[in-house]
Amino acid sequence: MQVFIAQIINGLSLGSIYVLLATGFNLLLLVALIIHFSYPVVVVFSMYIVWVVLNATGNNLLLGILAGVLSSIVLNVVSAPIFQKVMKKRGEVDVNSTMVVSMGMGFIITDILSHSFNHGFPIAYPENLTGGAPLFRIGLISVQVGQVWSLAIGAVAVSAFFVLLYKTRAGRAFRAISEDPAGAKLVGIPIVRTGIQSYALSGIMGGMSAILIAMLLHSASPGLGDMLAHKVLAVSIVAGLGNLVGGLVVGLALGVIEALIQGYAAGSWSNAIAFVVMLIVILWKPKGLFGIKV
Amino acid sequence: MSLSMYYFLTITAVNILMTWAIYLPYRVAHLHFITIANMAISGYLAGYLVMTLKFPFFWALLIGFAVGGLIGYIVSLFIGDAPTFAVVIVGFTFIYITRTVIENLPAVGGTMGMFGLPNIAKTPAGHRNLIILILYGLVLLVGFLIHRFDNSRLGKAASAIFVDKDLATSLGVDIKKVGQLLQVFSCIVAGGTGVLYGFIYKSFHLDFFTFHLVGIFMTTIFVGGYSTLWGSLLMAPILYGVPLMFPAEIQSWRMVIYGVILIIILVLKPEGFITRKFVYNIGIRLSRKREKI
Repeated sequence: MQVFIAQIINGLSLGSIYVLLATGFNLLLLVALIIHFSYPVVVVFSMYIVWVVLNATGNNLLLGILAGVLSSIVLNVVSAPIFQKVMKKRGEVDVNSTMVVSMGMGFIITDILSHSFNHGFPIAYPENLTGGAPLFRIGLISVQVGQVWSLAIGAVAVSAFFVLLYKTRAGRAFRAISEDPAGAKLVGIPIVRTGIQSYALSGIMGGMSAILIAMLLHSASPGLGDMLAHKVLAVSIVAGLGNLVGGLVVGLALGVIEALIQGYAAGSWSNAIAFVVMLIVILWKPKGLFGIKV
Repeated sequence: MSLSMYYFLTITAVNILMTWAIYLPYRVAHLHFITIANMAISGYLAGYLVMTLKFPFFWALLIGFAVGGLIGYIVSLFIGDAPTFAVVIVGFTFIYITRTVIENLPAVGGTMGMFGLPNIAKTPAGHRNLIILILYGLVLLVGFLIHRFDNSRLGKAASAIFVDKDLATSLGVDIKKVGQLLQVFSCIVAGGTGVLYGFIYKSFHLDFFTFHLVGIFMTTIFVGGYSTLWGSLLMAPILYGVPLMFPAEIQSWRMVIYGVILIIILVLKPEGFITRKFVYNIGIRLSRKREKI
């Protein structure tokens, strides 16, 4: 029972990060109309920036966190013109080409990470970011600082995002574009500006995810981006591409399932089992459990 | 023949075949990366059959083709008409699962890999010549079949699906059947190529089947041109060969170079260098020359 409870806590904190990543990914899909497959790779790049700044400033947390969030926003916004250009060339929204461009960005970032940072070896974060010892421990059940922060920030960030989406003028513009881009343009919503706002907003979410992943995993490696990219796309597809509520449910579920498998199966097989579960769902329902929204 | 020339010729042929294996399903807008998992599955299986069960190489190669096709067929039953992103994620998931399974199978060497595959001819030189012969024979055969397909009614149906699935359906095209056919054929090609890939190096290792292959094949197909088979044929030797001429420090940045080229081409020339119009114009010029003669 203790293993079960411990893994549920692990799963929820991991799941809240998947939810944040899937929400950022879906926002870009709904408003900027792109499939940014390598969005999680950008997040891992921000994790590396956090590590560099922490090392350079003698573990100044504030500067590290600011650098992580800023780098994610900048990288997202800078990539916007490339995506826009590709889409313009086709004369219409083209899921395929934006996904391929994003994959290209992923190759570049992953290779830069494996060449230029720590000689390609995994990086470890200092204790003042990860929190060191658990907050409390009862038998096998222990709660880490990173877990509490990921759950709390995940819940607050996603709630704030939904408030923004449904209660503000900017949110209405986001939803209008996701429903009907041509209609939104007709009623005077600035498509490009709103699109860029969505890049910036998903950048903020990405930056927060970067900090939380660093706190939760205590380390990062160049290959982490590919692994996360794959899981986030899988979460979005299993939920139904562009379905924000579906992403929330499936993201949390994946975190819990993954943690439970890790608790009861041999470590090396746990990822494979999680992938098999996702594969079965995708093969069974390629358009997602909650329905596609794009 | 020098060893470096042998590797250049063989890896170029592998890249051509694998790019075509991705090109075919992309005719109906499917990025089918399961082909890379198929390379590994068929390759390791063939290695096991030859090394442990002492199967003759050609039987193992045939089984490699068949297993590739079988996996492709089973998966295509579910994703024959799935959206592009679903096909992509199924491919990546298969790569992850395949890697984990192989990593945990001592029979095929696990994380250490499988080494010491036998020569398929009596001498090492004979082995190299035979591998090149088989690979380029396969390039000719697959190229011929794809050329025939591209110029057939089925090829036109695939083009219609790529442009607009609803339009294709209203024209009477069975989207799922065309998708399945292309996925199965690409998996057959990938299965056999995987076997040959391992026998080039006389070993199999998981590092042979990583995501860098996705990068190489995608760059080749999109830079060369995804609307004809000729783009891959032209770009595979260039993209593999040109970086070999650079110093080792630059070669190690190969994936960054590929990524940059891929993005630049998609932004500036989305259909790649060799487009269908380009091939058509060359055909017209050649026929005019023939008329003059």
